[in-house]
Parts: sequence; C-alpha cells; structure tokens
Amino acid sequence: MKKKRKPLRKVIIYGLVIFISIYSFFPMYWMFISSCRAYKELFSSVSLIPGPFSLKSYINLLSMTKYLINFKNSLWVAFFTTGITLICSILMAYVITRYRLRGKRFILHSMLFSYMFPPLLLAVPLYYIFTKLGIIDSLWGLIISHTTITLPLGVWLLWGFFKAMPFELEEAARVDGASRIKAFFMVVLPLSLPGILTAGIFSFLLSWTDYTFGLIILSSDIKKTLPVGLATMLGAHDLNWGEIMAGAFLITVPLLVIFVFVSQYFVKGLTAGAVKG
Amino acid sequence: MKFKDKHIIIPFLAPGILVTLFFIVIPLYMAIRLSFFHLESYISPAKFVGLSNYIRILHEPAFWNALKNGLFYSLVCIVLQVSLGIGFALILNEQFKGKSFVRGLTLLPYILPTVVVALTWQWMLDGNVGIITVLANKIGLGRINWLETPNLAMFTVILVSVWTWTPFVTTSFLAALQTIPLDLSDAAKVDGTSSWQRFFYITLPILKPILVIIILLRGIWMFNKFDIIWIMTKGGPLRATEHLPILTYQKAFQFYDVGGGTTVATISFLFLFAVVMIYLKVFPVED
Repeated sequence: MKKKRKPLRKVIIYGLVIFISIYSFFPMYWMFISSCRAYKELFSSVSLIPGPFSLKSYINLLSMTKYLINFKNSLWVAFFTTGITLICSILMAYVITRYRLRGKRFILHSMLFSYMFPPLLLAVPLYYIFTKLGIIDSLWGLIISHTTITLPLGVWLLWGFFKAMPFELEEAARVDGASRIKAFFMVVLPLSLPGILTAGIFSFLLSWTDYTFGLIILSSDIKKTLPVGLATMLGAHDLNWGEIMAGAFLITVPLLVIFVFVSQYFVKGLTAGAVKG
Repeated sequence: MKFKDKHIIIPFLAPGILVTLFFIVIPLYMAIRLSFFHLESYISPAKFVGLSNYIRILHEPAFWNALKNGLFYSLVCIVLQVSLGIGFALILNEQFKGKSFVRGLTLLPYILPTVVVALTWQWMLDGNVGIITVLANKIGLGRINWLETPNLAMFTVILVSVWTWTPFVTTSFLAALQTIPLDLSDAAKVDGTSSWQRFFYITLPILKPILVIIILLRGIWMFNKFDIIWIMTKGGPLRATEHLPILTYQKAFQFYDVGGGTTVATISFLFLFAVVMIYLKVFPVED
C-alpha cells in the first residue's frame, strides 16, 4: 500500500509547489512584461506571452519625469539612515550587553514597545517639529523619520547578537594589552559582521521601500524618493501603465540584486523579529 | 561576568539615547499633547481645548466606521495570512527539487516596496485591460470593478495585503518547523498516526509559542497599516476602506485638523495597546 501512495504524494507536492511559485511570482512577471510591451498592444490585446517588445516606456519614464533624481534621493536617504542606525545601535547594544545598567530593561522594553506605534502617531508630531525647525520637505527630515523605525529594530537585533557572543574573546584581547576601545574595534566588530550586516540590510530595506513618511515629509518633485515619486506619477503626468510598470521594475531591481546575495541574512533577521511591516 | 571599566558607557549610549529622546519620545509626547489642543494649521498658535477633540471624534460616525473597517481588515488579514502561511510552510517543508530557490521565490512579495505591490495589482485589476479582470471575464464572471465597488474594494485590498505579507508567516513558521525533533514525528509515524493527526497533536502544540508571537506581530502591523490602502483606494469608495490610519492622515494632512488627527491616532494607539495587553494575558509570552 505504501508503495502505491508515494508517487501520488510526490505529484501532489510538486503540483502545490508549482502553484505557490506561480502565485508568488506572477505579479512580478506581469510587471516586467508590461513595462517592455509596445503601447498599442498594452491596451488592446491582453496576452500572457511577452512582446511585442519595446523600450518606449523606459525612455518616456526617464525623459518625462524626475525619476533619476528620485532614485538618487532614495539612495541618499537609505544610505544615511542605515549608517546612522548602525552607528547608534551597535554602540548601544554593545554597552547594554556588556555592562550592568540600571535602565537596561526599560531601554529594551521600549524598543519592543515601539513595534506598536502607529507610524502616523510619530509622523504628525515630526511634521510639526520639522515645520517649526524649517526643515520640512528636506531629505534630512526624512532620514530622521526613517531612523525612528530602524533604530529600535537595530538595537533589538544587535542586542540578541552581542548577547550570544562570548565575553572571553574580548577579555583575552584585554589581557594582551588592548584597550577597551581597541578590543571593541579589533575583536567585537569583525566577529559581529553577520549581525551588523543583517541590521544594515533591514535598515536599508525599510528606508528604500518606505512610502508613508516620504508622502508626509516631502512635497516638491525634486525632493521625492522613488516610492513617493512613482505613486504620484500615476495621473499626474501624461503617463500610462507601461511607464508606471517600468518605474516599478527599476525600484525592484536593486532589491532583487541585494536579495540574491543576502537572502540567508534576510531569513535570519526575519526570524529574529527584525522587520516591521 | 560584567565589565568594570565604565568610562565608555556614556559616550557609547549617548547617540542612540539622544536620537530616541528627540525623535521618538518627545514627538510621541507632543502627539498626545496636541490632541488636547486646537490648531488652525501647523504654523498657527495652539489653543488648549481640554477633552473636546476626543468628544468631537467619538461623536463622528466616520470614526466608528473607520474603527469597524480597521478591525475587519486586520482580523481577516491575520486569519488568511496565518492559515495560508502555515499551509505554504508545510508544503515547502516537504522534499522536492529546487527547494531553496522556491523558498526564496516565495519571499519576494514580502521584500517588494508596498508602492510596487499596490501599483502592480492596480494594473492587474484594471477595469478594462487588467489581466485578472480579463481572465475573470473569460470564465464568465463579467467585467468586475475590483476597486470601485464599495463592498468589493475591501475584499480586494485584503487580497493584495495577504499576497504581500503572508511570506512573513511562511518563513517564520518554516524556520520554527526545523526545530521540531525528527524522532518525535518518526515515533508518532510508527504508532500509525496520519499526517493530520501529527500536525494537530505534535507540530501545532510545539510551535504554539512562536505562533502566538507571529499572530501578535501581524495583528499589530495590519492594524496600523496605512500605505497599501492609501495608494489603492484612498479609503474609498464611499469610505468603504477607510480605517483609523487613513482617517488620521486625512484629518492631519488634508484638513489640517492637527488636534483631530492626533486624537484619532492616540485613540487608535490606546485601543491597540489594550487589545495587546488582553491578548498577552490570555497567551503569555516568555522573553
């Protein structure tokens, strides 16, 4: 009986796996083939097969909109958000795990607590503060806003990482005559590279994909980040779905490239609760 | 053993604490404070009005409609994401060729920016030439206006939300599945149990703690989710998909009712906080 059941089970499993793969991937496939399909066919015949091929959507997108500037803004914001987050959270998490601190539990709990804040509860007062400071519609305001989400995650993630790292390694370096700071830079940092990488990936991802804060903080076209720029293109210019899909595809490419190289860190961070969304 | 040389504590903690204080703690305090004030705009002077914003908001039918929509949206999303995620994880946990590739593939919807997800689905659901609309028409469902029909719009938004956020559950559950000792299910297999029995009597009880956390996190995030609904429907048609985050945004940034907006956000936060506390009483989570 067992021998008879096995092949059928295999067929069912492969069938389900194929179904899940198509379900997960089809929208991306559709986005891509729509972005390089010729105009007339895009709105007349709906075919699952790619073509007729045309680059017109990409050319229009790049010539008619501020897409490249938006791209640069996004890169800039994500880069600084990640940098600030990493510096602050590495230092903080390290001290929290290595010293007896009175407010330690409080700090850790408030980091977890921040999971619960509605982003808008922070966005309204930040907008208010930035208006008073005169830095509304600026990339620095956006970088600060993104840091409010990424910093708690970074501290939380790196806390778990440093906690698991044996103290003896640093002590050995100390015995050999290295100062605390030197031991930190020469021993701790290199050994915690996987953890730092995971925290960095998540900060970058959150900043690169953010729409909500960008929508609220930025208003002029040349300041907008990619997600905000793309969402406002719909209906604003003389654009159609081909160009929108081209824009969507170009935002996705860097993510796919990063993802191929770091998917193991990504999964690790995700299961350590490193993501918000 | 803890370290003794304490001179690095303050310089190491300072940057993080300062950022947290100035950009998280003080803004949150200000948000709650602003809910007791009346402002004509972001630059006009604030006038203390006591609880009148709260009284006004709680008398608005729009508030109760938004609360109801938000609860419906997040509850249905949680149920679908969790059950679909567990199902996918169980399938991906089987033996088949190209396993790690398929696992990576199923994670993709989760890493896409929400804007890309929303726009791509809007295009696929386009009333005239959207691929899904065309296919639905071919199998005799007629031309469906997915996002323009009030009752259907909520369903559509939920569907897209489930598509993009289920991989979080799949991946977390899949990782947890690896922690179940193999001999346990092998022993049960020898005892002649079916795979359903093994799932309900071995797998689920062992994974209950992680499931409690998954449901908690998904619940919090879905309740606060703003971007996907805003991009796809702006809360419409006829407020059918308007929930508390959207109401907050409209009040704070479209009507410049800063007091009203922060009031809705504060109530929403307190409500969520209360629900989470009750949930944690019923399902305690250890560190």
